[in-house]
This record gives sequence, structure tokens and C-alpha cells, in this order.
Amino acid sequence: MVGLPLLVAVPLGLAFCLPILGLASKRAVAYVPVLASLFNLVVSISLIPQALEKPVVAYMGGFSPPFGITLYAGPVGLFMSTLVALAGLVVSVYALVYIDKGPTVKYHTLFLLLLIGATGMVLTGDIFNLFVFFEILTISSYALVAYFGDRGGLEAAAKYLVLGAAGSGLMLLGIGLLYGLTGTLNMADIAARIGSVPPVSAFVSLALIVVGLGIEGAVFPLNGWLPDAHSSAPSTISAILSGIAIEVGLYGVVRVVFTVFGASNILLFLVILAVLTLLVGEICAFAQKNIKRMLAYSSIGQIGLILFAVAVASSASIAGGLFQLLSHTLSKVVLFLAAGYMIHRSGSTEISSLEGMGSRMPLTSFAFAVAAFSLVGLPPFAGFPSKFLIVRAAVAEQGVIFLVLIGLVLFGTVIEGAYFFRVIQALFFKKKENKPERHDAPALALVPIFLVVVIIVAIGVWPDAITGLLDSAASELLERAEYIRSVLG
Amino acid sequence: MSFLHNYIYYIGAAGLVLIGLLIILAKHHLIKVIIGLSILDTGVNLFLIAVGYIKDGTAPIFSRPDLDPGRMVDPVPQALVLTSIVIGVAILALALGLAVKLHREFGHLDLRKIKELKW
Amino acid sequence: MRTTISILLLAVVAAGFFLCLADVPFGEPKTQVGNYYIEEGRAQTGAANIVTSVVLAYRGFDTLGEVTVLFVAAFGLGAVLGAAGGKRKHEPIEPASIVLRTGCRFLFPMLIIFGVYVFLHGHLTPGGGFQGGAVIASAFLLVYLGCRERRINLTRKTWTDSLGGLAFVVIGLIGLGVGGRYFLSNFLPNGVVNQLFSAGILPLIYIAIGLKVGAELTGVVDDLLEETE
Repeated sequence: MVGLPLLVAVPLGLAFCLPILGLASKRAVAYVPVLASLFNLVVSISLIPQALEKPVVAYMGGFSPPFGITLYAGPVGLFMSTLVALAGLVVSVYALVYIDKGPTVKYHTLFLLLLIGATGMVLTGDIFNLFVFFEILTISSYALVAYFGDRGGLEAAAKYLVLGAAGSGLMLLGIGLLYGLTGTLNMADIAARIGSVPPVSAFVSLALIVVGLGIEGAVFPLNGWLPDAHSSAPSTISAILSGIAIEVGLYGVVRVVFTVFGASNILLFLVILAVLTLLVGEICAFAQKNIKRMLAYSSIGQIGLILFAVAVASSASIAGGLFQLLSHTLSKVVLFLAAGYMIHRSGSTEISSLEGMGSRMPLTSFAFAVAAFSLVGLPPFAGFPSKFLIVRAAVAEQGVIFLVLIGLVLFGTVIEGAYFFRVIQALFFKKKENKPERHDAPALALVPIFLVVVIIVAIGVWPDAITGLLDSAASELLERAEYIRSVLG
Repeated sequence: MSFLHNYIYYIGAAGLVLIGLLIILAKHHLIKVIIGLSILDTGVNLFLIAVGYIKDGTAPIFSRPDLDPGRMVDPVPQALVLTSIVIGVAILALALGLAVKLHREFGHLDLRKIKELKW
Repeated sequence: MRTTISILLLAVVAAGFFLCLADVPFGEPKTQVGNYYIEEGRAQTGAANIVTSVVLAYRGFDTLGEVTVLFVAAFGLGAVLGAAGGKRKHEPIEPASIVLRTGCRFLFPMLIIFGVYVFLHGHLTPGGGFQGGAVIASAFLLVYLGCRERRINLTRKTWTDSLGGLAFVVIGLIGLGVGGRYFLSNFLPNGVVNQLFSAGILPLIYIAIGLKVGAELTGVVDDLLEETE
């Protein structure tokens, strides 16, 4: 219990020191997010054994719920915060060499604050606190999308900001309505009282909150901001947005729907919405010629798949969905980081300009290929057990509709394979006329990329290493009474 | 009439929220959209405060020790609105900064014409 | 076409909203959490202003997040607007009239004192760190607009900003170590209600927040003002 607030407090303290550090040395500032992510990773992993037996609950200020704010670290929360810390560590090491122009002190501060917002969101047990950390996450991402200051980045950031701010206004309206209906802000307390609230009002507040969170979680039809934002942001920010921000937004939706409201009758609607998201994402990705936009639409498709798995709401499918979330984060981070230096070397973001990169940047292209195979779901990479679990769980459900939907999901996977293979073909099988010499990405950029590649292969070969954690995470989401009891006693 | 007297604050807050949403959806000058965002935030804040009101209540401050605690309004929405106003200011500041930079780059702020990024 | 969709969307939102208003009756007490804060607030936190005890003691973690949001926005604005390195243009500005300049120089310390009063007495009267910080920033805005050639010292602003935020986090961590062994728990004596030196750590946190918010909003004003020149 002592360790849990440190996951937010220590990086926050470091973030407040960064401006003073920036006055002294600009180079040193880049190392602080690395240290903070490493600290978070170590503390998160060390708390997992304890959380598997009994969720770790920390009271802020010493006041017991529902009068104080609680941090709730069950298997889901620690799984997500470990993922956030790992992705943050990898991207911030890469950013040591990649980010070299512009106000770098401000970049690193905003980046660290984005990670803090994501960590706070997954660990909190209070719905208004969820909103505050959600704002930290989104406001820092608005500023980071516009970091390069070019016309595309500014336009994407402005449209993202307007959409996201309107969504958060609606989310606050929903939270206010929920407070008026139940009289409390603690998630477990709301969950205990929601049964006595008239269902129409509960539905309206649920809809408002889900719209606000769903904009960040890139659920169709609220995902219009995503391709623009991802294609104009620096590659590190695209990696973090695709790898962390939209997953944490989706976590918010899942937490509100499953734990706070226990809304099992909108799950079918969510399933259909998820399949729509997946199809829209994959089909649009197939038509793209710009690699970053292609990867952005692919993220939309994957979020559709994850939401589909979670909304089927059986223990096996939720575990599969969380596994897919892990595999997507790891793969997308590698894809965007590898693409970052490939774009840097070739000078353009068109897929056709990446031809022959296989010989010019072999290590980077190899990492890109591994991550692409993992995302499509080929063995022996991490994407295979996750997709297999999802398909198997969906087939086991009763009802023809699930078979139809799983057919559409597999159709989406085939399209995914098609457009990724097109890129791999351009990388390795198309030769450029003049053979340029090998000029790979810098070592400090390749080390974090290959760390994640190793993890992708390791999880693909030994999925049982994490299925225990994922199964307890699934049961945390499904068993509301257990959640309420562990917070309120 | 009594209905109006009781619910005027809710109706006002809902009206502000709807006006703000209408401006965001229908206008294409970025400054007007930002103003619409601000109006939306104001409406939501008003709604939050109205939720916490208790009939004949007064501010929850014990400026004299003998004030009756039963006749005070709910302090929690006041704290929520405090946070929400600050968050609204933060978003407004960032939005205006982006608007200034956009004007420098494009020369105008018409959202219909700022379409640098194609589909 | 677009207007029609917008009106339809708004009609849906309005209908949904008005359907549930009957369940949130205006003027009725809806919560026992609020009553608990009013009844126990003075005994547990020592502050006469219950809203302050809610903001800083019971929901202090939210306030830490809120301070961070403002920090993010100020830095985001600086990142979007500022050039790397922050070179400042020194163009000749027409000075204001003697009346304006003297008036601003006269009012400036008064506004600062008022801002400090607001955040220092946050636990006794309505007010607090954010309000006081905003007043302090408006004092600096007055100087910017009135005595036009003066500029703030950016290094001092950065130091105040960072130290304010750091103080808040350190107070929370001290609470984790000593005090009640919870993050942000109180470790100073509560004192007598309605006196200036009461309410444990609450005035300290508000001083940190007041200085931080004042420095931050002044930085925002400075960034925006630099742009227009």
C-alpha cells in the first residue's frame, strides 16, 4: 500500500523539477522520463504478486471511502500501468536521439505528464479523479501533436482539441448527473447504489460519459481525429498515442461500463459498434498510401477488435481482449518507431518511398516486419495467441450473431494481412536501381525497438507467462461485487 | 410556475450546453468554436452547482462557530466546479495558442479552408 | 445538411437530458457524503471553510491533478507558441502616459497583497490558491498593459512555478512517510478553528498552489503577449 501512490507522486515530482533542470542543462532533461518510466515499471511489476491475491487499495489523505479518494490496483490496473511504463520507457529512450529540434525541455515535460495522466487514469477508484487524469492525458497530447509546428500538425491538433474538449465537457455533464443521482463519486460506492437509480437517467449519464471517453478511445464514429493526429505528430508521439492513449481511453470505457454501471444490456450494442470500428479501420487502412495514416487506421481496427473481445463479456474473451491490447501496444510502438527513422532517412511518408529499405536499413526493417506479423496474428509472435483466444471465446458463445461477427472479424484480419504484406513487399522485395549503402537507425534508437521485439517473440512462444494475470484481470472486470467489497469492506 | 421556479437553473444550464454544442457544430471560424467550447463548459459548471443546492442553504463556511450545519449547501460540487473551471481555462489557453499559431501559418481561421491533410 | 444533423443531434441530447431532470430534484439534499464533510470537517481538518477542506484534504489528490493540468496547459502553450530558446524581440514600444504608468505602479503592490491575502486565508474565507494565483497574475497583466516596457524575469518565474508544484508533492510524500502514513495525510497540528495558524498542512498547500498558479498564468500572459509583437 505504501508503494501505490508513488507510481503517480514520484514521476509528478520529477516533472515539476524538469523546468529548473532545463535551465541548467537541456541534454539532461531527456533522461528524466527514462528514469521515471523505469521507476514505474519496477514498482508496478513488484506490486503484481500482491495484487493477484487481494487488490491493493490506497487511501489518499487517510480518509476511508467513500469520503476520500482511493487508488485501486487490481490485476487490470497494474497490467495497464506496467504496459504504460514499458511503452513510456521504450519511447523515451528512442526520443533521446529522435527529438533534437524545437523546445525539447517542453517536449520531455509534456511527455512525462502524458504518462502520468495515463498511469493515474488506470489506477484510480474515483470517477472524478478519472476525469482529472483523463484531462492531463488529453491536454498534453493536444500540445504534443502540434509539437513540430507545421501546418498539418497544427490543423490536426486544433481539430483534435475541439473534438476532445467537447467530449470532456459532455463527460463532466454525465459525471454531474451521476453525482446528483447517486450522491457519491467513489466508483465502488456508485456501483453499489446504481441499482436504485431509475434506468433512464442511469443510461443517459452512462451515454454521456462513454461518449467523452470514447473520443479518446477511438471508437467509431468518434475516431475522426485519429488519422490526422497520428500522421502529423512526431513518430514518438504517434507511438504513444496509438500504444497508450487510445488503450487507456478504451480502459476508461470498459471500467465505466463494466464496474461502475454493470450495464450488461448495452453490451450487444458495443459488440456491433466494435465490429463496425474494426471494418472501418481495416478497409480505410487498405486504401492508404501514407504509411503513418495506414498505421493510424490500423490502430482503429485493432481497437475495434479489442472492444469486440471485451464486449462479448465472457472470462475467456476478456482475457483474450486484454492480451490483444498488450500485443497491439507492443507491435504499434515498434511499427511507429521503426517507421520514424525510415521516414527520416527516406524523406517522405509515402509507402512507395520505402522501397528497398530492407537493404538500406536491415535491422529496422526486420523489426518492422516482426511487429507487422505479430499484429496480423502469425505464430510465433504475440499476436497469434491473442487472436486465437478471441476467436475461440467468440465461437464458444451461443448465438448465430457471434458467428457472423467473428466472420467479419476474420475478414478484417485478412485485409490487415494484405496491406501489411504490401509494405513488407516494398521493404524487402522491391529493389531500388542505385544500391545505397547501409545506413541504419542509431544504436540508441534500435536498442529499445529490439527490446520490444524480444518481448513480442517471448510472449508469443510462452503465452502462459501472462495468462494467469489476464485471467484474474478478466474476473476483476466481471465480478462487480468483489470489486465493491474490496474497496468498501 | 413553480416548476419554472424550481428548475430554472437546470434549464439555463441545459440551454448553455446546447448553445455551446450548436456553436461547435455549426460555426467554422475557430475563435467562434472556441467561444462555443467556453460556453459549453460554463453550462456544465452551472449544472454541477445547481445539483448541489439545498433549499434555503448558505455557504458551507463556519465563519462563526454557531452556524447551523443543517442549512448549508453541499460542498462537493463546489470543489468539482473549482477543478472544472481550472481545466476549462487550461483548454482555453491551449486552444487560443493553437489559434494564434494557425493564423500565423495560414493567414485566416476558416476551418472549411484549413484542409491541409487529405483523407 | 450539416445544420440539420446538428439540430437532430442536439435534440437527442436535450431530450435525454430533460428526461432525467425529474430524478435530480432541485434543492433536495441528495447525498450523505456532503453532510459528513460539513459535520466532521472542522474536527478532522481544522478548516473553517468546508469547501477548502473538501478541495485540499478529502479530495486533495484531485487538486494535485488540477495543478498538473494547469502546468500542462502552460507548458503546452509555451511549446506551441515559443521558438526554441525564447529569444525576445526588443522593438521600440511607445511608452504609456505618465498617469497610466503611475497608476499601474501604484496598484501593482495592492493587487499582489490582495492575491496573497486570498490564498493565505483560503481555509477561513472563500478563496484559496487558484483564486489568489489568478489575482496575482492579473496584477502582472496590469503592469504589462500599463507600463508597457516592463517584462517579468523568466528564470524567477520558472523557479517559482517548479518549486510551488514540488512543494505540494513533497508535502504529500512527507504525509506518506510520517503523519498518518497515507499520501497527503496531515502531519501538522490542527489548531483552533478560525485562526490563521490552523488546519494543519492546508494553508501550506494553498501557499504553494497560489504562488505556482500566479507564476503559471503570468507565464501564459507573457507567452501570448510576446506573440503579438
